[in-house]
Amino acid sequence: MKYLKFIVVLLVLTVITACKDNASHKVSEEESVYKCPMQCEGNKTYAKLEACPVCKMDLVMVENQRTKSVADDVISDESIFNLTTTWHTEEGSTVQLKDLKGKTLVMVMIYTTCKAACPRLVADMRNIEAKIPKDKLNDLQFVLVSIDPKNDTPARLKAFAKENFMDGEQWTFLQGTESGVREFANVLAVKYKQISPLDFSHSNIISVFNSGGELVHQQEGLGVDNKETVDSILKLVQ
Amino acid sequence: MKAVLRLTICILLFWVHPADCQSKMVKIKGGTYIPLYGRDSLKVTIVDFQMDVYPVTNKEFLEFVKANPKWQRSKVKKLFADKNYLKDWKSDTELGDQQSLKAPITNISWFAAKDYCECQGKRLATIDEWEYVAMSNETIPDARTLKSYNEFILGWYEKPKTFNNEIGSTFKNYWNVYDLHGLVWEWTLDFNSVLVSGESRKDVDNDTNLFCGSAAVGATDLMNYAAFMRYAIRGSLKAKYAMKNLGFRCVRDINE
Amino acid sequence: MTNLIKHIIMILKQDKLKIKLSSFLAYLGLVTVLLTVSCVNTKKKTYENTADIPVNREMVAELTAPPHVPTPVGKRLAKKLIVNMEILEKEGEMTDGVKYVYWTFGGSVPGSFIRTRVGDEVEFTLSNHPDNKLPHNIDLHAVTGPGGGATSSFVAPGHEKTFSFKTLNPGLYVYHCATAPVGMHIANGMYGLILVEPEGGLPPVDKEYYIMQGDFYTKGENGEPGLQAFDMNKAVDEDADYVVFNGSVNALTGDNAITAKVGETVRLFVGNGGPNLTSSFHVIGEIFDNVFVEGGDMINENVQTTSIPAGGAAIVEFRVDVPGTFILVDHAIFRAFNKGALGMLKVEGEDNKTIYSGVVQEGIYNPEGGGVQTMPDDGKAKQTVATTEKTLAEKMESGKQIYMQTCFACHQAEGQGIPNAFPPLAKSDYLNANVDRAIEIVLKGKTGEITVNGEKYNSVMTRQSISNDEIADVLTYVYNSWDNNKTNVTKAMVDRVKSGH
Repeated sequence: MKYLKFIVVLLVLTVITACKDNASHKVSEEESVYKCPMQCEGNKTYAKLEACPVCKMDLVMVENQRTKSVADDVISDESIFNLTTTWHTEEGSTVQLKDLKGKTLVMVMIYTTCKAACPRLVADMRNIEAKIPKDKLNDLQFVLVSIDPKNDTPARLKAFAKENFMDGEQWTFLQGTESGVREFANVLAVKYKQISPLDFSHSNIISVFNSGGELVHQQEGLGVDNKETVDSILKLVQ
Repeated sequence: MKAVLRLTICILLFWVHPADCQSKMVKIKGGTYIPLYGRDSLKVTIVDFQMDVYPVTNKEFLEFVKANPKWQRSKVKKLFADKNYLKDWKSDTELGDQQSLKAPITNISWFAAKDYCECQGKRLATIDEWEYVAMSNETIPDARTLKSYNEFILGWYEKPKTFNNEIGSTFKNYWNVYDLHGLVWEWTLDFNSVLVSGESRKDVDNDTNLFCGSAAVGATDLMNYAAFMRYAIRGSLKAKYAMKNLGFRCVRDINE
Repeated sequence: MTNLIKHIIMILKQDKLKIKLSSFLAYLGLVTVLLTVSCVNTKKKTYENTADIPVNREMVAELTAPPHVPTPVGKRLAKKLIVNMEILEKEGEMTDGVKYVYWTFGGSVPGSFIRTRVGDEVEFTLSNHPDNKLPHNIDLHAVTGPGGGATSSFVAPGHEKTFSFKTLNPGLYVYHCATAPVGMHIANGMYGLILVEPEGGLPPVDKEYYIMQGDFYTKGENGEPGLQAFDMNKAVDEDADYVVFNGSVNALTGDNAITAKVGETVRLFVGNGGPNLTSSFHVIGEIFDNVFVEGGDMINENVQTTSIPAGGAAIVEFRVDVPGTFILVDHAIFRAFNKGALGMLKVEGEDNKTIYSGVVQEGIYNPEGGGVQTMPDDGKAKQTVATTEKTLAEKMESGKQIYMQTCFACHQAEGQGIPNAFPPLAKSDYLNANVDRAIEIVLKGKTGEITVNGEKYNSVMTRQSISNDEIADVLTYVYNSWDNNKTNVTKAMVDRVKSGH
């Protein structure tokens, strides 16, 4: 009789513990972390290269290690800092993209005379910014690149920034050369076409880059649910 | 005296040959026309420029990567080229066995093509410039309404593996330019201005006319679906893509 | 069984074990409950909203080329289904001597058949072969989402794209390419079917096949040999050169015919890729017992021809009861016979003569003959014709001629008659028994039942309006042929019979 009770209790405990959700570990800052290809336990990563405890599949290495410390002269193959063209900011200074290294970047392409989509894109950027906790904003840079370098001079960009209450440190506006802008757009897979002297047609994409300049996430469309974008930013600024 | 004569001869020769002997170019006289995706029949004006007679060949690109190792397959940055880049080459500096030196270079990304042209003091053609030269047949500058012109192009769409043919294997057009049709697709400078993205009717600014679904309505000539194909291809590409059927040629501005 | 229980209870009641019966039963109950809870599939509940159906593990979809279909889903649970579809532009044969460059999903026209279950989460990877010239994408009518997947699958040659969708509605759906110009991509063969089976799967049948109709537009006319290019003008005008099943004229004929055995139930998944024409789908010699109208839930019964719109599909089911070759057609009939919309279902097995007997009798139907036919009467008309007596040979010759004109139609060339219809004259006991009766029959006709050579005949013979002379000749011919009693019938005999009544 005693044994029976014991067995029953054991059974019940086993059933309960098997279903328990393990808390997910933080992404390790070290070299190799592994994940289950089926994501049996969500985004949990494992330190050892073995089998997933749930589905028993072999773990695979997590690519794109997101490490905070980046050596100064190491730019990865996939980084946009490989683009060497020069840009002017709204403050009038001349920069290269790699000067933005070290911060997580949220970038979008707009032009100041745009009446239809751009105001919404700008609003989308602002919504994303609002969802980031204030203390993390130092690690973040919101960059708005002009598609119309001819008309969007640094002065014009500065005025635009002021109009849109985007004059803070975390906001940067860039004017480039026409060829530089085209090249940059191609890296982001942004399409645009000039349809009249002051009007452009362009795709609406907000892109998130890690501090090494590698593309991590893109959100396409206007007024799109920005939850995933915000999540990816938060992961990078941890 | 002799020295002066020799010098003059050298200078003359220097002027006669184009600055870079690598590829022949011809002058294209500018004009206006309505391209396929002209909005409200928007006319486009082309200024005079020079265009390569032939697309860039395997041989020329091979020399380029030898001189610029950063564009070799093993060294190229992933940002600028995808896995298909020079896929069929045997090694960084050797062509594939099936490839001929005089065939057009393919499996290169837009970044590589752009850099190649810039190294020569040239650039890629814009879509408007390319289409302007390409709309001619052997004898007239604008042959888009001719049945035979469209049929030739559509016939090419059905022909497999034309990328292995040598440059100059198709017709010479009105401008004395070869192979704009019938050999390979070609990169253009602003290919990403084609907002055709499959079936997309996404909210891209206010110009939904430029999309596939209403492509037939927006295009200026319903029957010019030979041109549709080129725009569709351009719309499907990303700058780092490399494709077996995609090559390029360069153009140069004429400085006044 | 009861003994066993009694035995157990007896053991339990023994003091040695010291277990209380009630406690034991309680523990037994608890253990049973635990086991039931852990083992039984709690997922057997039905979901009001198909979007809530959970998926259980994953599986790679089996894709088949037409006319075959993958294994039915049966009772499996909804799964994460992995579909890998490749696009290939390749040259094929439309019909003898006519070549065409097809753009295909999975290398075939129509493209591979995808079989899913409602609630599956399909992870769809579309790959565009690097040798292809053009970008493509896919719009599956089974997808609930923008473009049916087209927006997320636009892919250049040498690249692939993946997107995922959940099948919310059961039914048979078309998929096709949706890249500009859409009509051209579809006209070149970029279409196929995706089946979403309901929970529990479709009822099992013996044979299932995959058929899809399409219209093709070529620069040359139908039949013009060589590699044919697509003709956009004809496509816009909806002037098809070929209307075929499964991509080519002979895709389902001859050796490629689909087969079944007598008594089997056959289910055809029939789609129409278009691009323009609606199909009037019919199987000659069969009636559809069930038609899932437009591929949905509504089932129509006893249907001869069903409409399948362009970009639509239908499921038809029927039982084959007799052997033979049953022709599948688009009943807009010139398409079937002049443009290729023709397929074959070959059924083997035992005949069933009741359902279909095949040819029962064959004969010449010659309603007029030499003489004018009238119904038998009381013999009022009298004909008197004076003739001289002929020789037997002459009579035979004349008689034969008359026979061939007048009597042959019913009594046949050798006097064998037609069973169950017209009595024989060859070796006929009835004929030989009474010559006068024979003469009278020719003069007056005959109705009513007679027995000839053991067989009953109940028919009508009309009066023959030929002269007595001719009657004599023809009867002489008959009597002197085919083992009859060689009577030489004279005109006098005929006259006598005629006047005798």
